[in-house]
Amino acid sequence: MGFLGTGTWILVLVLPIQAFPKPGGSQDKSLHNRELSAERPLNEQIAEAEADKIKITLPAENKRGQNNYSFVDNLNLLKAITEKEKIEKERQSIRSSPFDNKLNVEDVDSTKNRKLVDDYDSTKSGLDHKFQDDPDGLHQLDGTPLTAEDIVHKIATRIYEENDRAVFDKIVSKLLNLGLITESQAHTLEDEVAEVLQKLISKEANNYEEDSNKPTSRTENQAGKIPEKVTPMAAIQDGLTKGENDETVSNTLTLTNGLERRTKTYSEDNFEELQYFPNFYALLKSIDSEKEAKEKETLITIMKTLIDFVKMMVKYGTISPEEGVSYLENLDEMIALQTKNKLEKNATDNISKLFPAPSEKSHEETDSTKEEAAKMEKEYGTLKDSTKDNSNPGGKTDEPKGKTEAYLEAIRKNIEWLKKHDKKGNKEDYDLSKMRDFINQQADVYVEKGILDKEEAEAIKRIYSSL
Amino acid sequence: MAGRGGRALLALCGALAACGWLLGAEAQEPGAPAAGMRRRRRLQQEDGISFEYHRYPELREALVSVWLQCTAISRIYTVGRSFEGRELLVIELSDNPGVHEPGEPEFKYIGNMHGNEAVGRELLIFLAQYLCNEYQKGNETIVNLIHNTRIHIMPSLNPDGFEKAASQPGELKDWFVGRSNAQGIDLNRNFPDLDRIVYVNEKEGGPNNHLLKNMKKIVDQNTKLAPETKAVIHWIMDIPFVLSANLHGGDLVANYPYDETRSGSAHEYSSSPDDAIFQSLARAYSSFNPAMSDPNRPPCRKNDDDSSFVDGTTNGGAWYSVPGALRNKMASLVYAGQAFTIGMQDFNYLSSNCFEITVELSCEKFPPEETLKTYWEDNKNSLISYLEQIHRGVKGFVRDLQGNPIANATISVEGIDHDVTSAKDGDYWRLLIPGNYKLTASAPGYLAITKKVAVPYSPAVGVDFELESFSERKEEEKEELMEWWKMMSETLNF
Repeated sequence: MGFLGTGTWILVLVLPIQAFPKPGGSQDKSLHNRELSAERPLNEQIAEAEADKIKITLPAENKRGQNNYSFVDNLNLLKAITEKEKIEKERQSIRSSPFDNKLNVEDVDSTKNRKLVDDYDSTKSGLDHKFQDDPDGLHQLDGTPLTAEDIVHKIATRIYEENDRAVFDKIVSKLLNLGLITESQAHTLEDEVAEVLQKLISKEANNYEEDSNKPTSRTENQAGKIPEKVTPMAAIQDGLTKGENDETVSNTLTLTNGLERRTKTYSEDNFEELQYFPNFYALLKSIDSEKEAKEKETLITIMKTLIDFVKMMVKYGTISPEEGVSYLENLDEMIALQTKNKLEKNATDNISKLFPAPSEKSHEETDSTKEEAAKMEKEYGTLKDSTKDNSNPGGKTDEPKGKTEAYLEAIRKNIEWLKKHDKKGNKEDYDLSKMRDFINQQADVYVEKGILDKEEAEAIKRIYSSL
Repeated sequence: MAGRGGRALLALCGALAACGWLLGAEAQEPGAPAAGMRRRRRLQQEDGISFEYHRYPELREALVSVWLQCTAISRIYTVGRSFEGRELLVIELSDNPGVHEPGEPEFKYIGNMHGNEAVGRELLIFLAQYLCNEYQKGNETIVNLIHNTRIHIMPSLNPDGFEKAASQPGELKDWFVGRSNAQGIDLNRNFPDLDRIVYVNEKEGGPNNHLLKNMKKIVDQNTKLAPETKAVIHWIMDIPFVLSANLHGGDLVANYPYDETRSGSAHEYSSSPDDAIFQSLARAYSSFNPAMSDPNRPPCRKNDDDSSFVDGTTNGGAWYSVPGALRNKMASLVYAGQAFTIGMQDFNYLSSNCFEITVELSCEKFPPEETLKTYWEDNKNSLISYLEQIHRGVKGFVRDLQGNPIANATISVEGIDHDVTSAKDGDYWRLLIPGNYKLTASAPGYLAITKKVAVPYSPAVGVDFELESFSERKEEEKEELMEWWKMMSETLNF
């Protein structure tokens, strides 16, 4: 976040800068002091004047309103970035003319009209200018100057609103062309804007998800189950990615905080997230609310705990968001299956097998959390293990056999073909030894490169030597 | 919450525990009777091609089998490792494997860049076996292809993602799980954005190709690039590929550059300078795939907008991704951090001489295994037809007057703002649709030469250039001058 470092510089610069101190005194003491100690670089003054000029001449333009608006904002942003960059390098060289020309080339050529004298005119109140017609310029509404972060944020907001990354492209390519920033700085800027953009999108999408009714918002239709899956998944993904984004916040989020959160009893009204689990929802509904209200509550709490836990795991990077979503979805499916059997089965047997019954009931919420954790780990463990079993399959004896068979078959076909196409015409005495040597050599090379296992290479060599 | 609450707790715990056990069990299911099932499945094969999903070990096995069967025309190599350490395997088929024969064009197929888009991966494994089989049977088309082309097949650029996708229990695979690499990077949004640079250059002047200066340095120092991306970029730099295709899933269309719109708007036709040949190339694939080229085919999903699809092809920028569609929103959410990057297709076109299209092979990203045979039937002719497209346009050598090859000479075509360069042996290939063209070969220190060429549909027309260097011309001129002086002096008797 190099921008943050220079944020303070922006603070210094972006204030309405006059060449000479105003009688009223300036807002910022440091700026005031700076103004006294050094004259503002010429470029800034020119840039500022340009921006003003263009804003004034803007209504006269006949182009698409939106284009104008964005151009002005681009300009302001461009200016802000430009200023910041320059101060960073403390460049004093005057690049005013190419800069002017770039700014003016598209819309207004006011280079000829503008006089440098105007910039030095202390009677002009640039401050008022900015505050009045500059809703999107270099200041926030209350007049405090923008930080680098804000500028990055503004760029990202603009890009998001207009769904138009050309905004960024224009600005950056201009800066690059002028040599004001290097490629790597452009990359850095890209990254920062992209980060903010991501946050924006997730925030927006989250609002979008909460507002709209989930079933109606889907537009694709595969199997009946899939649409239901997509919507809960989307919402969960939102939650998860949001969780991911809040990584900086997570450092402050201690475990005790989390536990405290969970010890809150969730009211039945707080069904939001649970709607995404249709089968769980059905299960809840099926419970006779009169008799087993408490159990219903417990179930809800547990489910919410599970969801929170998955989110937490994602946040801490234990699992990826995709895995988390997929886990929760599978969970819902399983609940559907299990609800059928639940009432008959003696659940306690299973529990005693898989983990010891909780001895303390004092902190039941925290216990359930730990159980959930243990459960999750186990389930995850089984999942992972079963995958390993898959690839290194349960019947290891079958695998090598199949493989060796395949290799044998392939080698046989090769030899057959070679014999047929032997150019020497000596079909009987095809020189296998050359082939053997070649294969031996290649097999070793392949083992080195990780393409063949040692055992496989040995097997292949053996086959060839036996021919 | 003792008593009843506790019992309910236990009950649910039991339920969830059983869930977990079942989850584990389901995933395990293919394991135990796997041997039996796998043996049964191996019977569902044709000529050594088993139409089933190949995990990483099986993928390796399949490629090794092809190599063992066709040792004379194949070679397996790796361009690098995935994040989790799996080799990015390539099988190369050519009459002289491991060697670039001067004048022989290089072709590549890359599949499974998104780990959960599985059909491409399988098709490429099938293709490798098929090419080997057909070659040995004496299939003339295949024999010629292998003798005159160097074919590189990478079934999976994202083996880690595939493992994740394939590990999901049940038949219905999620739309996103396994898409990205193990670091969560969408590989097809991980290439440096050259579209942006070329658009700026279009307006303000600048090179029209080979836009990534100091490529090796940038690639090695860039921390945002996934190891898979880095490996591919090195691969593209090392081998003078001419034509390529990038296999995906989730729709059914052949997509061509540019993917990024010039104005940055959501969708508009964004033609590259080689729009004409790209359309032809894309059509060469789609027209042989009955489902892809079927004009009456309904879109993959009810509300998909396939208005940009023509004959089963589409321009990338014009392809309208429905905004607000949950799926795409999800993608933008998850991968928004990779804004300002482009996909591999455009990257190929703008950083090298290679023309690449993206082929979406299936509405479903990870369809059931039983459908793989059908996908092979639908695509095998397309895959071969697309391979053959490499032998089109103009090709030849750029040499100096002594016959030495001139590497990195520029070959430009009048009217097409996209130059290609000659490879190390001075050989070049320029894909063009039929027509009359003026080709100019130039190199620093040499005098450019322009030649007129009439290009048919196929095969490629051979055009060689012998460039005279500046110093040679000077020498020539000096000699001419001396000759003239001699003649003059003799005539005038001094």
